[in-house]
Amino acid sequence: MDTSGDNDSNSGEDQTSLFNENISDDLLEFATVKDPTSLTFSISGEDHTLGNALRYVITLKIRLSIRSRSPEVEYCGYSIPHPSEDKLNIRIQTTENTTAIEAMRKGLEDLKTICDHIKETFIRSNRLFDIQQ
Amino acid sequence: MDTYTGTIKPELKIQELTAEKVKFILTNVDLSMANALRRIMLSEIATIAIDMVEFELNTSVLADEFIAHRLGLIPLDSTEAEKIKYSRECNCNGACKECSVELNMHVKCTEEDITKDVTSRDLVSSDPRFTPIQEGPKDPGILIAKLRKGQEIKVKCIAKKGVAKEHAKWSPCAAVAFEYDPFNKLRHTKYWIEEDEQREWPASRNAADDFAPGDSEAFDFNARPNRFYFEVETIGSMKPEDIVMNAFKKLLEKISSIQMGMSTNDGMSGRDQPRDSY
Repeated sequence: MDTSGDNDSNSGEDQTSLFNENISDDLLEFATVKDPTSLTFSISGEDHTLGNALRYVITLKIRLSIRSRSPEVEYCGYSIPHPSEDKLNIRIQTTENTTAIEAMRKGLEDLKTICDHIKETFIRSNRLFDIQQ
Repeated sequence: MDTYTGTIKPELKIQELTAEKVKFILTNVDLSMANALRRIMLSEIATIAIDMVEFELNTSVLADEFIAHRLGLIPLDSTEAEKIKYSRECNCNGACKECSVELNMHVKCTEEDITKDVTSRDLVSSDPRFTPIQEGPKDPGILIAKLRKGQEIKVKCIAKKGVAKEHAKWSPCAAVAFEYDPFNKLRHTKYWIEEDEQREWPASRNAADDFAPGDSEAFDFNARPNRFYFEVETIGSMKPEDIVMNAFKKLLEKISSIQMGMSTNDGMSGRDQPRDSY
């Protein structure tokens, strides 16, 4: 996996937008690429809360795929380019087996599943607690 | 995800639930997920708080802005905060019934040699759903200012919906205690000691619910934290269990809005070309 040189999404190409008053209102943006296996998603209005959790579910694919014959995600990392800019960058690089967008989509779906599950467990636990009282 | 749809599923156990706090243990989740939950409860749950204060009269010894700040920090019942809009999302000009609550207060001290307390009980809300919180009829309320004879305060307050990310007054939580690995088996921390670690660092309260390491247990460098101890304490504006429920809702909302962004962005508009340069 040769991704070591690529994990720095804070490499200065965004310097101009820092001083630009017309920062995009779009929630999510990503560029067209020749290579669909690597992409940086730029999400505005989000921070470590979502970034770290999302990075985790997507990188989990790496750990799972080490065992499988068809590895999918090669690299996933996130950064907050600048503390005074309300923005989150998530970098995903995948193998030829899938695309970065697909990996992102799956990651979101997984995160949702986990969150839904914990939510239900909380409701159940809450009800159980009420009965015990 | 195999790990989560398969055998190992996250579990949650409530240990304590009172009017002002909820204590629970969350297991089989990653640190990032537990932390997301903590961060949301602390800073992204919407509540109602006084945001603008118009002074008609203030002859007290305290400056207007001082009183305005104190008013802002008073917890208002926010159990129905969902039913109100953010004023930035409202079509009105400034503040209307859809996106704000008006509270009025008029207090004057008329008696000789008596210090009159101005408290949160003197605030009169225009909407019975959003009133300053009060624990029973005997609750003296929150002290805002003190008046001597002849001094008077007359204000009109506009309360709005907001999140603690913008100002801590909108936080429904007084504190969110969060702990994992009370025995420091993962060595995520190093205790500073004088002489004896055992004596100087007594076990945390959560240690009783965790698994103590054996005497000759080797360090497991592959271990990850998977057992989290939460204690969510409210300021009274919301029930503790509602804070947790709203946190899940908020997290799901965040995910859905990105999923929406993904689908509307499907054609990949191609703007911002330089972005793939790295």
